[in-house]
Amino acid sequence: MSVTRRQFLRTTGLGVAAVGALGGCATAIRGDFAPKSGKRVVVIGGGWGGATAAKYVKLGDPSIDVILLEPNKEFVSCPFSNLVLSGVRTLDSMTFSYDRLRGHGVRVIHEMATAIEPPARKVRVGEGWLEYDRLIVSPGVEFQYEQIQGLREAGDSVLHAWKAGPQTVALANQLQAVADGGVVVMSVPPVAYRCPPGPYERASQIAWFLKTKKPKSKLIVLDANPNVVSKTALFRKAWEAYPNLEYRGSNKVVKVDPGTRTLTTELGDTVKYDVVNVIPPQRAGTIAVAADLVGADKRWCEVDHVTYESVKHKNVHVIGDSTIGLPVPKSGNVANAMGKISAAVAVAALNGRPVPQMAPGNTCYSWVSDREAIAVVNSYKIENGKVVQIEQKLTPAQSVAVAQNSLGWAQSIWADVVG
Amino acid sequence: MPIIALAFLILLLAVPAAEAGPLDHPGYAKAFSCSACHGFAGNSKSNAMPVLAGMNAAYLKKALQDYASGKRPSPEMEPYSKMAVQLGVDDIASYFASQTKQPTPVAADPAAVARGRTASQSCVICHGPAGKGDPAKGIPDLSGQPAGYLAVQIMLFKADRRSPGDEQLKAVKALMRSVPDDQVADLAAYYSSLR
Repeated sequence: MSVTRRQFLRTTGLGVAAVGALGGCATAIRGDFAPKSGKRVVVIGGGWGGATAAKYVKLGDPSIDVILLEPNKEFVSCPFSNLVLSGVRTLDSMTFSYDRLRGHGVRVIHEMATAIEPPARKVRVGEGWLEYDRLIVSPGVEFQYEQIQGLREAGDSVLHAWKAGPQTVALANQLQAVADGGVVVMSVPPVAYRCPPGPYERASQIAWFLKTKKPKSKLIVLDANPNVVSKTALFRKAWEAYPNLEYRGSNKVVKVDPGTRTLTTELGDTVKYDVVNVIPPQRAGTIAVAADLVGADKRWCEVDHVTYESVKHKNVHVIGDSTIGLPVPKSGNVANAMGKISAAVAVAALNGRPVPQMAPGNTCYSWVSDREAIAVVNSYKIENGKVVQIEQKLTPAQSVAVAQNSLGWAQSIWADVVG
Repeated sequence: MPIIALAFLILLLAVPAAEAGPLDHPGYAKAFSCSACHGFAGNSKSNAMPVLAGMNAAYLKKALQDYASGKRPSPEMEPYSKMAVQLGVDDIASYFASQTKQPTPVAADPAAVARGRTASQSCVICHGPAGKGDPAKGIPDLSGQPAGYLAVQIMLFKADRRSPGDEQLKAVKALMRSVPDDQVADLAAYYSSLR
């Protein structure tokens, strides 16, 4: 039996062992903490885009040294996390270790990248730095707390639960604890934000939970947008089963006051709550702003549609929710596709091969009860160097069959990202 | 320790450059989206999504064309199949045909498998005793496909919701309608268990 280099590296995880001394301790990081010898790709952010990119660079060329910088010790899926709020699933069922990425030879370092120096091809981590040949930045989103008066000061007393993790569980606990007859209020930010149908899936899950467990309670949805942003007709149809759900479009929340337990809208209305969920307005993750990867709006990153290279800095690719300008939604599936594309581009560039032309796809499921789901699917192609949509298709109705497909999608794509 | 490290180093230097993997296939750049649902290189690990690795190229091409035209209705597959047709359906079909198939890891209930074997007599005529089908006649290989996927397909055939009105499938649909609903899962389990 012959052992290929690819198999050898995969099975031994030598790439990890060789730099085991790196550890994960911030205080130990000074100077060039992982001197570069051969070709290297550094990936910032281990979410749907970054974890996929790191893995696929290794799959594409095992000789490339791949370092993934991600402060969180575990990958927690945002898709499906709305089902934690309704008690239909546990957060554990969508939480994964990064060990399998290490098995592919990716060096996962649990540290936060603090700055990028494109001319020197360096990533700063605290007082140390790393050199790269290609950098893939997948920073996700950051919240614009300052857009809502009182939100930053409110701290954990007003939850976003828009990055799956402790806040998801905390909000689920608040919903469990609310008195029957209590009022739950959630707010939807203006577009663009992470996961266009996500707030409406969340509204469906909370409404289903209240209907079954707190029949005298109601949910008020204050949406900054004039109407449901995504899968509009399908959500509207699903909500016919939830007379306890009161949807108010064009009701942008501008102020929160945990003392009086009230939200104030742009129209001047005051809405009292027992449990509140404010999904704040969003922009690209902090590193993207710090590294000047965002455009004039200071919110999102413009990229080349084929290479995902930043229009502002050479050899720096930006992928996932922080990008703007492509006709694609800010979804996990799209981030996963961008991860694979940027990896293929980096591998080609580092091996002197032509850049491949690869278009993303998007499959997006939303659960509208404890057992039924709806979906939207988008396919794309590249035309004259730009991503162009081929088709968008919605499921004709909500169904158990679509929900079953979504479980298959989740299992497969989680394995594609961190498996 | 140093001896082990040295042995590792020698082994590392002695082995040739990486052999071509799924990402090196010319069809990969067109087929890469599929892995989000159908698994790496088309080896689905989920119960709902079929394994595409090793699938007969002509069969997969026809399936993609039928999804793209809406003849085989699926909200999920229609946009992706239109993409496949526009990008090059032959390249995508040949990409999956050239991958090594790993049968579904979803274990089937042995009792259901046994019942399914007994119930499979009429299926054998076309799909063969090992469920491998007949590529020349466009009859698919059912072996090792996930039971969840197979069961859904049988139900779609029974209800004439897979390629509705297709004359060529009239006989097979009539046959499937003779299968009681409570036997569908057994048949699916049986074919899923075949290797």
